[in-house]
Amino acid sequence: MTSVDILIAVDHAAGRSAPKGDRRNLSGRILTFPFGLALAWLVLATVLLWAVAPQLFTAYDPLEGMPGGQLKAPSAAHILGTDSLGRDLFARIVHGAVHSLSGAVAAVGVGLVVGTALGLLAGSVRGRVDAVLMRFVDVLLSIPTLLLSLSIIIILGFGTLNAAIAVGATAIAGFARLMRSEVVRVRNAEFVEAAFGSGGTFGKVLWRHILPNSLTSVVAYTAVQFGWAILQISTLGFLGYGAPPPTPEWGLLIAEGRNYLATAWWLTAAPGLIVVAVVLSANRISQSIGRAAR
Amino acid sequence: MKPYRKLIALSIGILAATVFTASAADSPVKGGTLVYLEQQSHTNLYPPAGGFYPNGGILNQITDKLTYQNPKTLEIEPWLAESWQVNDDATEYTFKLRSGVTFSDGTPVDAAAVAKNFDTFGLGNKGLKQPISEVVNNYERSEVIDPLTVKFHFKKPSPGFLQGTSVIGSGIVSLSTLALPFEQLGDATKIVGSGPFVVSQETIGKSLDLKAREDYNWGPAKLDHQGRAYLDEIKYVITGEDGVRIGALLAGQADFIRQIQAYDEQQVEGQGFTLYAPGTRGVNNSIVFRADNPLVSDVKVRKALSLAVNRDEIISTLFSKNYPKATSILSSAALGYVPQTDKLGYDPEKAKALLDEAGYKVGADGVREKDGQKLVLTSYASLPQPQSQAVLQLIAQQWGKIGVTFNVLAGDAGTKIVDELDPQKTPVAVAMVGRADPDVVKSQYYPTLRNVLLQKGGTSDKVQTFADEKLNAILDEIASQPDREKRLKAVGEAQAYVLDQAYAVPIFEEPQAFAGAAYVKGIAFEAVGRPSFYSTWLDK
Amino acid sequence: MTRYVAGRIGQAVLVLWAAFTLSFIILQAMPGDAVLIKFLNPEFGLSADQIREIRQAYAIDSGVLVQYAHTFANFLQGDFGYSMQAGVPVSVQLATNLPPTLRLAALGFGAAVVLAVFIAFLSSIAPFAWLRNLVQSLPSLFISVPVFWLAIMLIQIFSFRLKLVSVINPGPWESLILPVATLSVPIAAPLAQILIRNIDEIRTRPFVGVARAKGAGELHLLWRHVARNALLPTLTIAGVLFGELLAGAVVTETVFGLNGIGGLTEKAVSNQDLSVLQAVVVISAAAFVTINLAVDLAYPFLDPRLRTRNGA
Repeated sequence: MTSVDILIAVDHAAGRSAPKGDRRNLSGRILTFPFGLALAWLVLATVLLWAVAPQLFTAYDPLEGMPGGQLKAPSAAHILGTDSLGRDLFARIVHGAVHSLSGAVAAVGVGLVVGTALGLLAGSVRGRVDAVLMRFVDVLLSIPTLLLSLSIIIILGFGTLNAAIAVGATAIAGFARLMRSEVVRVRNAEFVEAAFGSGGTFGKVLWRHILPNSLTSVVAYTAVQFGWAILQISTLGFLGYGAPPPTPEWGLLIAEGRNYLATAWWLTAAPGLIVVAVVLSANRISQSIGRAAR
Repeated sequence: MKPYRKLIALSIGILAATVFTASAADSPVKGGTLVYLEQQSHTNLYPPAGGFYPNGGILNQITDKLTYQNPKTLEIEPWLAESWQVNDDATEYTFKLRSGVTFSDGTPVDAAAVAKNFDTFGLGNKGLKQPISEVVNNYERSEVIDPLTVKFHFKKPSPGFLQGTSVIGSGIVSLSTLALPFEQLGDATKIVGSGPFVVSQETIGKSLDLKAREDYNWGPAKLDHQGRAYLDEIKYVITGEDGVRIGALLAGQADFIRQIQAYDEQQVEGQGFTLYAPGTRGVNNSIVFRADNPLVSDVKVRKALSLAVNRDEIISTLFSKNYPKATSILSSAALGYVPQTDKLGYDPEKAKALLDEAGYKVGADGVREKDGQKLVLTSYASLPQPQSQAVLQLIAQQWGKIGVTFNVLAGDAGTKIVDELDPQKTPVAVAMVGRADPDVVKSQYYPTLRNVLLQKGGTSDKVQTFADEKLNAILDEIASQPDREKRLKAVGEAQAYVLDQAYAVPIFEEPQAFAGAAYVKGIAFEAVGRPSFYSTWLDK
Repeated sequence: MTRYVAGRIGQAVLVLWAAFTLSFIILQAMPGDAVLIKFLNPEFGLSADQIREIRQAYAIDSGVLVQYAHTFANFLQGDFGYSMQAGVPVSVQLATNLPPTLRLAALGFGAAVVLAVFIAFLSSIAPFAWLRNLVQSLPSLFISVPVFWLAIMLIQIFSFRLKLVSVINPGPWESLILPVATLSVPIAAPLAQILIRNIDEIRTRPFVGVARAKGAGELHLLWRHVARNALLPTLTIAGVLFGELLAGAVVTETVFGLNGIGGLTEKAVSNQDLSVLQAVVVISAAAFVTINLAVDLAYPFLDPRLRTRNGA
């Protein structure tokens, strides 16, 4: 639920309320939590390995269950138990990594590419183009994100990729606003004015100065968005608009598992905790990038 | 009939019977509010829409019917009608109504009102967009003979009509209700019936309060309980989440819930709650093939797919003893049931041989194909059916073993409805319908009715050519043969024919599963498993 | 100033109209339609001809432009049309569903503010470094929890296992405890982050040292400065909250079985009940636009630094 808009608002508000120079004045916090950060990288690395080589982590088939072995509690044989069709839950989580991660990457990709392009254009060209583009972004923001995602999925059809596109579409506005404000900030900086003054063409200045200097916050924001996209995709899965079963996508695992809460609570709890861990790690890493940038 | 199945049929009967004897012995307590958790909100309370369980669960409390079908014996007993006469070829039905019955708005339940109800159910009302009821076949007109006598005329024999007057879709409502356009009948407070309860308040999509009618004194004549309902109030709360419904019951926040899944049964009974699983006595939970799709147009392919379905594995993995294995397309408790076990074997080897014969050879990727066309089938799961998604996934695994890929689709309601009408997109579908009369077979397969096989001439305009006139002739016979013996014979023929053609793969006999706290007494179910709270009382 | 205000209002109206149009296009592009979805339900047993007649009766098949003009004109007059699925006017559905969602939202936001302030101060004044670090990382955790999962877990733990609150048929306030808690967690996170950032900043300022030397309580000092600095970001968040709130409400209301705009939207989407969806979009867009307009117009008054450069 906490999405682009709120984070952007935070940025916006921080930008408005505090003089720009003070942004660097965040000493003392850089040294906190090196363990946390290391752990975050570890979590992400593990999950990436799951996505790349799931068979290294589990011998069970994520799709074929063992009839008769359904709804078993966690044990040595099945460390997270089995689901209603006798499928090993840990195997499903491991094999699901590739679906959830690629979905999130695709979603962020859509938002990043389209949103950044829009923001860059608006911030660089200014004037009427800027006004039109930013009003368009306002329109995107004014339509409730979930409603927008659901409608897009209904139009495109169900599937992991379509869910990712739907989530990505709702991320466009955030990227566009951030990119625009960054471009405007950099543009007004003295060295860019100087570059213009020394006869640089618009395209050249954009490429050599504005873009690279705007990108750091965009990168930090992208990491946050990655975690956010995982949450959004799993929310869609929960509402029945995600990947079709039996895909072991994490959101779908939670969504399916919740029907068994009275009898097999681990089916919901375990994938939920995995999602929390991954998103938390992504946010943690984003913070460290953001701080390093400052 | 296997012994244990008989036992279940029997125990359901006993359940219904003990309910009444017990309540008579324990002297029921009057008063109290029953909190009832329903999975889905009602969609429309036009009585013929009562087939949808959430609608029927409400209509059953607020409307009465002309007749009462004893859920134990399936006999038709008097209710609003004291007596009736049927002519020999079942084209004229005369009902003598009980006197002194009123709707909750005070208007009388007389011949004119009943006539108007069945004119609407039998012919529909285009101006008000009220559709025809699927339980009234061949209807022509009504005739009010005197204020308490009404006669119905039919164009052709309509042997199922008497039972049809007892079903949920034939609840009698007031003239003012029938004067409303169809879309306004979604508002429960506007539905005026003569039933033991009256809608007192509604929050659309969320909750519904029913209050007992003090002057109610016209329940089914042969019930022990007469007079007003024991409960003062019923509070329906729509609770879509399975986990919340079951959790709320176990935590004592609700008294009675609908739709409890097999995997929670142990949990419920283990903690001292009562499980109710009345059968639905209709067409079993099945998957059906749409033969218009060339992939399943060959009967050999359909037979092979049927042989590859392992019912025992499905039931032992996903269900419980309350879900008996199907032995025909009809429930073993249905009228006219003839066991078809010889046509419902599990034999994957024979299935493979049949597919080979049909020309589908195993390709390089393990999937069978013929002329470059892969044997890949698709279907949607059916939300109201128990664990439909899991059942289909299990069938997909079983079909995978004979080289057939079966993809279970996911889609929003709109896409699903459009796709389900297109045999090219959904060669396989999930189907089930409950009604304790042989007409149910026609309802399910006839092109202009539910048309689950997607024959040409029905609701779908996507069907190219497929129509099975032989099947339709048998179905017509069921719905219009006045002679009971001949009619039941046609029902038997239909069961054999559908399975010979392997149009359907019946899987299990679907119950309606409810659970209640131990202190909830006197729950009764109509013949198709919808609860009636008329005799319910709280022992606390 | 007047021109600026008029311009902003003009832009807001334009955005509102564009949101209406965009959503109309998106909704029209959906396959299937509400009439089919409702009446093809086999429980009704309607034939193809009957359905065709019903469609004609609802004039579903008239041209898109005609429908657009028709819908737009109706909306201008405040007529939101009829919900195909529920069989009642959309305005009736809104009247029953809007107030509970607004109440949930207001309380959720209020709880979030309290929670955020609590976290921010604790992260600054808690006794041990490890505790401060722990508290400081809470917002990151809050932001990482899937809301629907949190809701499910809260119900299971607090209602079904511990039996502290009832979710079925609860009292009017009892029914709000868990949903408000659920909704407030993700909103509290960004708020707390801003507050923590503010506190950090203020503590490095020279006047803090001066004030401390003069004997002023640090807590008091922080409170005065942080409260002032946090007001603007909080307002801004309130401005963007509304659209987001709906997403939270969909999930919260689905899990807790509450009636409200969220649940209404979810059902309307799956039934493609276009008139309901159109109304939801217009209302939330209107709220979004109005709140943002109000915040933008209020900014110069609240923040003296901005008074000189309008609309920055």
